[in-house]
Amino acid sequence: MTAAASASALARIWAVCAKDAAQEARRRVALASVLFFAATALTLVSFAIGPAGFAREESAQLHAALLWVLLFFSTATGLPRAFVREEETGTALALRKVAPGILVLAGKTLFNFFLFLAIAAVTVPGLGILLGWEVTSPWAMAVVLVAAGYGLTVVSTFLSALVARAGQKNVLFVLVCFPLLVPLLLSSIAATVAAAGGTLAGPPLRVILAYDGAATCAAYLLAAAAWEE
Amino acid sequence: MLATTIEARELSKSFSGPPLFSNLSFSAGTGLVAVAGRNGSGKTTLLKILARLLRPGNGSVRVVEGNRELSGEELRRAVGWAGPDLAFYEDFSARENLRFFRRAAGLTAEDGEIQERLARVGLGDVAGRRVGAYSTGMKQRLRLAFALLLDPPVLLLDEPTAGLDEPGRELLAGVVAERRGTGPVLLASNDVRDFVSPDRIIELGVR
Repeated sequence: MTAAASASALARIWAVCAKDAAQEARRRVALASVLFFAATALTLVSFAIGPAGFAREESAQLHAALLWVLLFFSTATGLPRAFVREEETGTALALRKVAPGILVLAGKTLFNFFLFLAIAAVTVPGLGILLGWEVTSPWAMAVVLVAAGYGLTVVSTFLSALVARAGQKNVLFVLVCFPLLVPLLLSSIAATVAAAGGTLAGPPLRVILAYDGAATCAAYLLAAAAWEE
Repeated sequence: MLATTIEARELSKSFSGPPLFSNLSFSAGTGLVAVAGRNGSGKTTLLKILARLLRPGNGSVRVVEGNRELSGEELRRAVGWAGPDLAFYEDFSARENLRFFRRAAGLTAEDGEIQERLARVGLGDVAGRRVGAYSTGMKQRLRLAFALLLDPPVLLLDEPTAGLDEPGRELLAGVVAERRGTGPVLLASNDVRDFVSPDRIIELGVR
């Protein structure tokens, strides 16, 4: 690919991402539902457990697991809309006519990644305030969230394209998503425990990065089959 | 400018039933091709296959410019399509819609140029209005603007007069008259009045 073609591809990806962001800014459907889910879950968990509910050793695991349960279900609430909305409103045909599947997928993944970061920006401090969770190394936590969030959004967005034309798409999305994301979520929990304790754990982070690479390759190879007729 | 032709070879398509059409072959160069047939004969399906929005069950479609077969992005841009199920982002204005689709296609989208394109289909005065507030006829005009958006040499129009008022029909007739002189225009319709002196007729559903 030439430099001009690469620049053009990036501009097209950005156009799709900016379009989704503009739509979201006007309707706030995904952001509102995702943040409402995250806030409700956080509040319920904080009432059920409370800041002093568990010993420090237990709470490290519990907080990390809770964080990823919240992030998984929050993203499962908002991210599938990426392609489903295009099919439901009939705009998918116009989009297919002007851009190949891989660029549309990349643009929507980018928007979903920003959405994930917004959810994480609310959830992590929320857990800290409501459950007394202390994160010793914020930068290590940021690395884990960015690396694992990338894998989560790539897989979620790709599956959104895959199920967009199916019946019972929301149920199907969660059913297909969960087994595919288990390896990522387990590694993310382990890496989050370490990050909260102040270290960047090598083995789980390597698994996350390998997962990110594999997810990117699979999405790249299968984008056309998933999105185009 | 090199002549562009669109060629269909032994196309077949069925949707869990008897085939809509089978072994359909034709080549269309400069001029108007009328795609006719009763309801359900496969006119919309054929045009979607030619626009690469549907895969044929069998057969293939080629777009040739001069002696060179187009592929990839060139092919995507070479075929303009508009059909009844083409929809737009209703929260966006017509101007925002066309600007986005130009950018997503990897082309420039200057405001003046977009405005000019909308004015050409009679939507210049309402370019900033939400598409959700458009009437059926206005959306049909926007579909025509979409089909012409990437300046394609091949134009596929499916039921383009549906919902159009008389000035809209005249506008469409003008566009077809102009474009049939520079490349293939395939027009599918149930209304024979839409076919003004076609150079060729493809009749579907004839067994």
